[in-house]
Amino acid sequence: MEKSLVALALILSPPAFAAENPVLESYRGAAKQESPAFKDFSAARGQMFYHAKSGELSCASCHTESPKAEGKHAVTGKEILPLAPSANAGRFGDPAKVEKWFKRNCNEVLKRACTAQEKGDFMSYVLSVK
Amino acid sequence: MKRILVWDIPTRLFHWLLAASFAVAWASSGSDEWLSVHGFSGYLMLGLIVFRLIWGVAGGNYARFSSFRHGSLAGLAYLRQLLAGHARRHIGHNPAGAQAVFLMLALGLAVCLTGVLTQGGEEGHGAAAGLTGVAVGRLFKEAHEIAATLMLLVVIGHLAGVALESWRHRENLPRAMITGFKEAPDEALDDSPASRRYPLVGASLLLSAIAFGLWWFSYALPAALAPKSTADGAAPQVAFVGARLPDDPQWREECGSCHLAFHPNLLPARSWRKLVAEQDKHFGADLALDAPTAQALLVFMENNAAERGPTEAAFKIERSLRDGATPLRITETPYWIKKHKEIAPADWRLPQVDSRANCAACHRDAEAGTFEDAAMHIPKAAPNARF
Repeated sequence: MEKSLVALALILSPPAFAAENPVLESYRGAAKQESPAFKDFSAARGQMFYHAKSGELSCASCHTESPKAEGKHAVTGKEILPLAPSANAGRFGDPAKVEKWFKRNCNEVLKRACTAQEKGDFMSYVLSVK
Repeated sequence: MKRILVWDIPTRLFHWLLAASFAVAWASSGSDEWLSVHGFSGYLMLGLIVFRLIWGVAGGNYARFSSFRHGSLAGLAYLRQLLAGHARRHIGHNPAGAQAVFLMLALGLAVCLTGVLTQGGEEGHGAAAGLTGVAVGRLFKEAHEIAATLMLLVVIGHLAGVALESWRHRENLPRAMITGFKEAPDEALDDSPASRRYPLVGASLLLSAIAFGLWWFSYALPAALAPKSTADGAAPQVAFVGARLPDDPQWREECGSCHLAFHPNLLPARSWRKLVAEQDKHFGADLALDAPTAQALLVFMENNAAERGPTEAAFKIERSLRDGATPLRITETPYWIKKHKEIAPADWRLPQVDSRANCAACHRDAEAGTFEDAAMHIPKAAPNARF
């Protein structure tokens, strides 16, 4: 009886660990609107995006090679807390904040806004870093 | 001739503590790093002088003002006699020495009080904190420097007088101020009886001075006792803990993510208005602030801008700007440039410093925005730097 209850609980409980980040969810919607050809986000693509240099800069210039490490602003030297939620629980919880930083940093590094696809790939990568 | 006690213990302690505190105060003046020591020696002097004024009424025979009130011109007359070689020897203070004592007490009091008012006005610290603004504090500073210079002149005169008197009357006056004893002719003893030692008063005075020192520097004691490795290899330094400036969590979040949250008091309101208006090209970056956020930040900045003059730095930055000049960088203000001229190029290149925007590398209170003199400390090039 007890065993079956545990089994039932396991089956019924949603896979909480795999639940998608609500911010990422909203980018999924935006990406579908952006391109009918959109399939899914890819952490591997996000990782490439994270390290890709655009001119002098990449995401890694300030956030370091690992999103789990403490970074340093490339110009001012100000310390930047880790980007990965696995190292810094507060990250990617507030949609407005996430959007603000994408706007700022995409403009700064790529000199243009990022697409929803890029944002989703980036987030998938950073969220996957354990 | 008989050896009698002239200077009681409290008088001797007062004398040497005052001399030491004046010397330390003079040596530590004008240095931001030593300001806490300067303040300590100043308050110690003030306490000593107040004690001496009480002791001048309640103390031993030769310590009482009534025993050396010789009249205002008697000092000069005595000096003339001394140079001519026929001055009468005094067991206590001679008329010229007495005048130096009164002058030093008066000037010492003036130096201390103007010092406290300077500290209160310019730094917003100490007994007179908040009593006046920075502008009035600066006037007191002028007076403080004049009074201190006059006091130094009187001290030099006093030393010359002691030397002259010791030579003319063949007696070691400095030694008498240590041992307390002097040779007195027998016939003088009737109207000049020996003093008493007052050891309890002396011990209280000394313990008070030590207790005051421990209290004052208790801030530095933990750092001094900590192992060297944790102390950044730097000498422990006492920092003032003053009133905190207005803070705002939203401002700190928005402005403190990419760089130090430069406190609004470091630039005038017109600069902050321009920075917010041009937030889409903020030194090459688009801040992407929404309108309500930008407005809320601007309100906090305008309310605490340099014109409000809440700190010495704010007052001086604002004053250094030409009318209408709207700098966007604090490092472009004439006061900042002047104030940082003496920083060695090598110090700017230290890994801990890295950027001119990194105020916190040297100003330990940069996050708080107070930029107090005593919180300023150039880091040493660490032999095993972590960078």
